[in-house]
Amino acid sequence: MVNVVEAASFKTEAPRKRVLSEAVFGWLLIGPAMLFIAVIVAWPLAETVRLSFMEAGLGGEEYVGLANYEDLLESRKFHDTIVRTFYWMFLSVALKLILGLIGATLLNAAVPGRGLFRVLVMPPWVIPIAIGCIGWLWLYNGYFGILSGTMMSLGITDGPFEFLAYKQSAFYSAVVTDVWVGTPMVTLFFLAAMQGVPRDLYEAAYVDGASRWYRFRRITIPQIMPVIVSMSLLSAIFTFNSFEIIWILTEGGPRGATTTLIVDTYKTAISNFKFGEGSARAVVIVVLLGAFSLIYLFFLNKVNKYYGSGKK
Amino acid sequence: MATLDLHSINKSFGTAKVLHDISLAINDKEFVVFVGPSGCGKSTLLRIIAGLEEATSGQIVIGGQDVSDAHPVERGISMVFQSYALYPHLSVYENIAFPLRVQKLEKTDMDARVQRAAEILQLTDKLQLKPGQLSGGQRQRVAIGRSIVRNPKVFLFDEPLSNLDAALRGDMRVELGQLHRSLEATMVYVTHDQVEAMTMADRIVVLNAGRVEQFGTPMELYHHPQTKFVASFIGQPNMNLIPATVSDVDGTGLKVTLDGGHQMVIPVDTLGVQKGDKLEVGIRPENVTLGEDGISVDISVLERLGGVSIAYGKLAGQTRFCASLPGDVNVKEGAAVTLTMAPEDCHVFDASGQVLRRKSAPALVA
Ligand SMILES: Nc1ncnc2c1ncn2[C@@H]1O[C@H](COP(=O)(O)OP(=O)(O)OP(=O)(O)O)[C@@H](O)[C@H]1O
Ligand SMILES: [Mg+2]
Repeated sequence: MVNVVEAASFKTEAPRKRVLSEAVFGWLLIGPAMLFIAVIVAWPLAETVRLSFMEAGLGGEEYVGLANYEDLLESRKFHDTIVRTFYWMFLSVALKLILGLIGATLLNAAVPGRGLFRVLVMPPWVIPIAIGCIGWLWLYNGYFGILSGTMMSLGITDGPFEFLAYKQSAFYSAVVTDVWVGTPMVTLFFLAAMQGVPRDLYEAAYVDGASRWYRFRRITIPQIMPVIVSMSLLSAIFTFNSFEIIWILTEGGPRGATTTLIVDTYKTAISNFKFGEGSARAVVIVVLLGAFSLIYLFFLNKVNKYYGSGKK
Repeated sequence: MATLDLHSINKSFGTAKVLHDISLAINDKEFVVFVGPSGCGKSTLLRIIAGLEEATSGQIVIGGQDVSDAHPVERGISMVFQSYALYPHLSVYENIAFPLRVQKLEKTDMDARVQRAAEILQLTDKLQLKPGQLSGGQRQRVAIGRSIVRNPKVFLFDEPLSNLDAALRGDMRVELGQLHRSLEATMVYVTHDQVEAMTMADRIVVLNAGRVEQFGTPMELYHHPQTKFVASFIGQPNMNLIPATVSDVDGTGLKVTLDGGHQMVIPVDTLGVQKGDKLEVGIRPENVTLGEDGISVDISVLERLGGVSIAYGKLAGQTRFCASLPGDVNVKEGAAVTLTMAPEDCHVFDASGQVLRRKSAPALVA
């Protein structure tokens, strides 16, 4: 038997006095993280913004106002770089998403040996990017590369083809490598999302006569849509800022054909010691990505509303 | 018409055999409930009927047509899942319309059918909501709505009420019964809840470890359980089973000595029973009364439910015993009482768990 009298005595104890108000306690909890972010993110960012108003080099700094930005806005080359960067981003992200979706669907299908395949998609992601890219350098090599060799033996080209030596082929080669590096992560996230879709939904649809494609279109895609949208944003930011791959393969060449904003910024600030102009470019990147992210978040919100279950 | 016949259905998952030679003949417009403990193969059998799982061997015939290899749609079945399996991103309307969209039904026809289903299930004002905005009972109705728009020949339900609270479950039981009468369809309903089985079924299939223990009307199962398993599974509280020894066999019945020493003559078929055999005597808690002559039970717990009081205790030989006594019965926890039982109310099971036929059992209500 429960002793009712004893149980009730808990209530007679006076409530403990609160030492800290809830708000103060909250700030205390996030304080260390805030400090950390201030040191490694906010301060460098502020410093970058400050530098962008300077003519700064190894010799010293001098305030020039908006001159760096004016130069950028007037520069035809910079316009091309922005356009090229967005093209690079959209192309690469689109390919990653499509390949990731196909890959995840195959890996999610009940085929024998899928456990092995799930492991096999990992290497491009796990191998250090530099090492992977050096592998691709060899693949793209005109004299020793397997691609050029195959094309010659198939009679598509009649001599060695140096993939990274021509403006167009270098650009698309860089896209291919970037997609190679970026697809596994997308694939695995999609796979995880697909595995989270309850099996009952598919069975119910099957019983109702829905074909495989219909089930994919009306169950899988809507169910993983929030993940697709967030992955596109993440992937877009990674791709926009993708530096090592381009730098190792082409250093932004030939004749600027693979120079994206981030490569341009690096070349200006670090290779040519124009810290002020480089900083102005960096600020432009921050603004562009910020705007891009806002649009995306807005979109994500819409998607969640549309595809969500209606729960608050 | 939509009869459903199963012929020697067997099912193995790898080396594990989960269904053993199941044959059933279910009539048109009948409400049949599969009941049994967890893991006995109810869902597997239902999924085989649905076409979601393939039988290892055997034949499924719906409306006289062999559909063993047919797609669920060709079988003319629809299924309601325990989890409801609603599409969370679609509105109630679209959820109900889903099977019709798959069929590419014309818009006006689809509209009419969805509206009719919504009316039957009182969902008309919920059509634009998403499943996440509904209560459990409403979600269950949407799942049922999705299954009725296709006008299937056979409805299959896999524990559709098990996620609802007790009060709602009671309401939904009644609603499903009404739905069955208004749709005039054959329904197969899986549950592990014997109360649901007893209240809803025209006939009940009791499954145990992949085998059919008994197939009959609720009152048949109650009064004439074929096996010890059915006897203890059907009825609430469970039937008491008292170990007993045969002390004499004659024309009128079986003279037995119960655990604890009480002796009685039970009117059952005695074919093949010999003096000295070990048996079990079954008596339902509601069939015992306080009296002078009978078994002595040490009461350890008394649950007063108002109308009845359920007494739990032990016989002298440590057999557990439960009795359903009048609500205001004057019995104390810790006291010993004498309980009387009529020999005609007793069931007798042999060592293999099979029943010895009762000679004088109540006539079954139609
Ligand atoms: N896909 C499967 N693979 C292997 N074994 C399975 C599979 N599905 C079911 N089983 C086994 O078959 C047996 C019957 O399962 P089933 O789901 O039909 O039980 P159930 O009667 O519906 O139980 P519950 O009341 O818990 O739902 C169980 O022992 C289970 O482990
Ligand atoms: Mg089950």
